Amino acid sequence: MEPLINVIGLKKSYGSNSVLKNIEFKVYPKEKVVLIGPSGGGKSTLLRCLNRLEECEGEIEFEGKNIVSVSSKELQVLRRKMGMVFQQFNLFPNMTVLENITFAPVKLKVSEPKEAERYAHELLRQVGLDDKADAYPQSLSGGQQQRVAIARALAMKPEVMLFDEPTSALDPEMVGDVLDVMRRLAKSGMTMIIVTHEMSFARDVADKVLFMDQGRIADAGDADYIFYKSENKRTREFLSKVM
Amino acid sequence: MFDFLSKYYPLFFCGTAQTVIISLIGVAIGILLGLIVVSMRMSDFKVLSWLARCYVSIVRGTPAMIQVMLIYYSLSKLLELPDVSILGSSIARIIPGSIALGINSGAYTAEIFRSGIISVPKGQTEAGLSLGLDELTTMTSIVLPQAVRNVLPALCNEFISLIKESSVLFYIGVQDLTAQALGIGGTLYDFVPPLIVAAIIYFILTFLLSQGVSVLEKKMGKKYSNGIV
Repeated sequence: MEPLINVIGLKKSYGSNSVLKNIEFKVYPKEKVVLIGPSGGGKSTLLRCLNRLEECEGEIEFEGKNIVSVSSKELQVLRRKMGMVFQQFNLFPNMTVLENITFAPVKLKVSEPKEAERYAHELLRQVGLDDKADAYPQSLSGGQQQRVAIARALAMKPEVMLFDEPTSALDPEMVGDVLDVMRRLAKSGMTMIIVTHEMSFARDVADKVLFMDQGRIADAGDADYIFYKSENKRTREFLSKVM
Repeated sequence: MFDFLSKYYPLFFCGTAQTVIISLIGVAIGILLGLIVVSMRMSDFKVLSWLARCYVSIVRGTPAMIQVMLIYYSLSKLLELPDVSILGSSIARIIPGSIALGINSGAYTAEIFRSGIISVPKGQTEAGLSLGLDELTTMTSIVLPQAVRNVLPALCNEFISLIKESSVLFYIGVQDLTAQALGIGGTLYDFVPPLIVAAIIYFILTFLLSQGVSVLEKKMGKKYSNGIV
């Protein structure tokens, strides 16, 4: 099977400070890849590079093109196929929940306004928030905002969803709702790349876990291997601290 | 003390209308120019950014009266404006005068817009881009509406200044409110009463503007705070 995303020799540095060192991994269709590791290890930077919110060197093959070096026109088309969910939600505060979800699909002519609205309501039902369609983001809790943000990303009918610590900014009682939505999404067969500190979620959902430390993929394998079998000293040390 | 009003009120009316017209044109040009200059200022092209900075520094650093006169005298040499009169002044004076007001205001408006754009979190731009929107759409549909809302009070201040400072057009012979008041004062041999009337009218204009803006602020604010402003 062809990988959906193929990362080859990815590097990034700020001046002499190298934050990503020769990253290599593949993501196959329907696969759930979870990035774990200590803060400052490069997980979020790597995820942001996949969407080219950060400039870097090397190759990120997606749809036969290299995200690192495509023109900005091509990049826009590729980004439509990658849904991104941020730690801080980043909903548009000047638009209602429904407008947040329909704005990009309508503007980019991915769907007709009527169809976009219908689909937005369907997505809102899936994340359990259809009654909030006309509310403004500021009136929602963090967990609700994040679920709307997931619906907004899904509205573009992406090939892959990228999650950048989606529950790190939430109050503990909100985390479960967001993780439930993500679990259901995983079950539906969506390809997902997730940066998270929720270890039990990672263990349940991941097909592949990448342990990142000091800008490298220090350890990788399926959930069973990383969480129970790996003898990598850094992996064991990290997991013993967070679990 | 204000008996003269029964005879001279049409002149005050003309002067007020004139002031409103030149201020409206000035504000429109100022907003347009502000948007153009702020996009130059924030662009990646060093030359454009440098030009925008020069414009802002020069306008801020020189007296409005000199700017108005320079623009009036150079524009009248360049363009053949027809000598048609509106409300007591030739459009050959009104047009260069309003353009000068707009050019002056544009520098301040550009800086206000810039502070507004900076105030919108970077995550908003990233969210727009990650959905596949281009930079222009992200800026105009997502960042700018939020920026404008953040700087509405500062913009209101700028427009109030513009209404008051529009009185410098008196120096190039525009018959605005100040000019009319001075004219009436000359005929009465008493400047104080007409100037008081003019001051009251300026106050009413700026007061109405600030009330209008605060209604707009509340309306825009509702979205952000769940109805509680």
